Amino acid sequence: MSPVAETAKTLEELEQEAIDALASGGRRTRSKLLYSALGALGFVAVWAYFSTVLEPYVLPSPLATAERMWELVISGEAISNFLSSFGKTMAGWAMALTIGIPIGLLMGRYRYARAFFHDFVYLFANVPLLVYAVIALVIFGISPWGPAFVVMLEAFTGIAINVAAGVESVDRGLLAMSRSFRRSGRRTARSIVIPTVVPFLFASGRVSFANSWKLAALAETFGGYSGIGFELEKAFQTFSVVTLFAWMFFFVLFVILVERVLITPLERRVFAWRDPAGSRERVS
Amino acid sequence: MTEVRTATLGGTDDAGIPELLLAPPERPWWWRLGSDRAARYTARIAFLAVWQWAGSTFEDIPTPVSTITFLVEEFQRGEVFPNVGISLLRAVIALTIVLVLGIAIGIAMARWWRVRYFFTDLILVGITLPAFIWALLVVMWWGFSNIGPIAVCVLSATPQLVVSTFQGATATPGTLLSMSDAYRVHTRRQFRWLVIPSMMEYIAAGFRSAVLAGWGAVLLVEWFGNDKGVGFRAHYWYDARSFDGMMAWGLVMMIIILTFDRVVMDRVVLHFRSWRVGAQRWS
Repeated sequence: MSPVAETAKTLEELEQEAIDALASGGRRTRSKLLYSALGALGFVAVWAYFSTVLEPYVLPSPLATAERMWELVISGEAISNFLSSFGKTMAGWAMALTIGIPIGLLMGRYRYARAFFHDFVYLFANVPLLVYAVIALVIFGISPWGPAFVVMLEAFTGIAINVAAGVESVDRGLLAMSRSFRRSGRRTARSIVIPTVVPFLFASGRVSFANSWKLAALAETFGGYSGIGFELEKAFQTFSVVTLFAWMFFFVLFVILVERVLITPLERRVFAWRDPAGSRERVS
Repeated sequence: MTEVRTATLGGTDDAGIPELLLAPPERPWWWRLGSDRAARYTARIAFLAVWQWAGSTFEDIPTPVSTITFLVEEFQRGEVFPNVGISLLRAVIALTIVLVLGIAIGIAMARWWRVRYFFTDLILVGITLPAFIWALLVVMWWGFSNIGPIAVCVLSATPQLVVSTFQGATATPGTLLSMSDAYRVHTRRQFRWLVIPSMMEYIAAGFRSAVLAGWGAVLLVEWFGNDKGVGFRAHYWYDARSFDGMMAWGLVMMIIILTFDRVVMDRVVLHFRSWRVGAQRWS
């Protein structure tokens, strides 16, 4: 693989790898579950203890937080704000795909394009999220387009890098073979190039999704009028720790929900064409 | 281009000397525009040009020129060095704590399975939670203080270092370990030559992402509630509705982290990975 793709891939992907290494704990036996539960319970217990010591407006009890969360679910605010943030993230992702895929194809195919975009890829991947949020505010003011725009900026480089790596890893032998059997370009693209590139594309999506989600929420606290970030900002302005806690836990729940319901099944489907022994390694 | 290359590599001239040994053929001046270096500079100039165009077309967007001018004015006001200094100091203190805590928890998780399952969910949730939520919370609790930035930096950067330390500690090449056992290599020697080198690579990579996350966290807390620091100064100009000021301080934030990443972390990561070059076969 090219040095460009490797250096730019390292950080986020290494992190994802590490997270996966931690999360895949083998078979979940009873004693493992016990200790996981102990960890969660220990956290709640420490929290509950301190909430009895401190004033309730400083540290509300776990029960009060749960009640507040329930109220937000009943009133429908939880769902509507989740959908609002989700919509912005997805809009940003759609834009990132439309920009990132062509750039990635160019980067994989032409050396000049790779050198041209090299600095951008490095720059956009390492900008602090606060700077992105400021940029959204400067350009768009109070509008839903700000979060979507910066999610686009943040996500497209990862997409481009991975598409480029995918294009580079397309099997040259298979391409040569389809040329000598006179397959049409479209058919070659459909049955060789796209199946090789899509898993790479998907890997980039999975890695940077959590980050995009955080960025969208942050940009909403700066210039939004709906969404999780906006609700957090409101709780902050009204000095309501309970509400802030409630939205904090909603945030975690939503991320887990999207990961389990949307990404994991999709991942299984995208990778279904590969045999479990890892056909890609064998072919190359 | 392919034609040129074939001629150079394969052909011989009249005297029978391979062309490869002769001077490379003269190329027109524009040939160099296609080189990697030229491409990079073209990209940078194009970026500045687009930014300048956007800034001069839309009223609210600052141009590169006005941003730099503003930054020079901030230098003259003597605001840059004290604020950058205090932010850096906070980041350094917090990242030292992160380094100690992260490595300790990571190794403990790899060493004892009970510790591992105790912390797994907490760490995963910690990675999921964005720093700005911690920032809002901490500002409500402590207000303007030094505790806030340091606490949020520790809370949001430690999980990242923990996961990669854990991965490094479990990724020590098992075959090498059993071979050292077979040849009765002393435990301390095994640690010195096997376990620590293979772990350091992961720790360095984890610390790199921890630095990025930690710096972002310090900035966020300073933005939401502080009276000193880079983030505070950006927020100050936000309150004054000066987009030039926000952009200028955004530039400062970026320059600091990119310089550090390029100059320090890049080398640290490479240094700890260098032993692996050519050694992959054994791991």
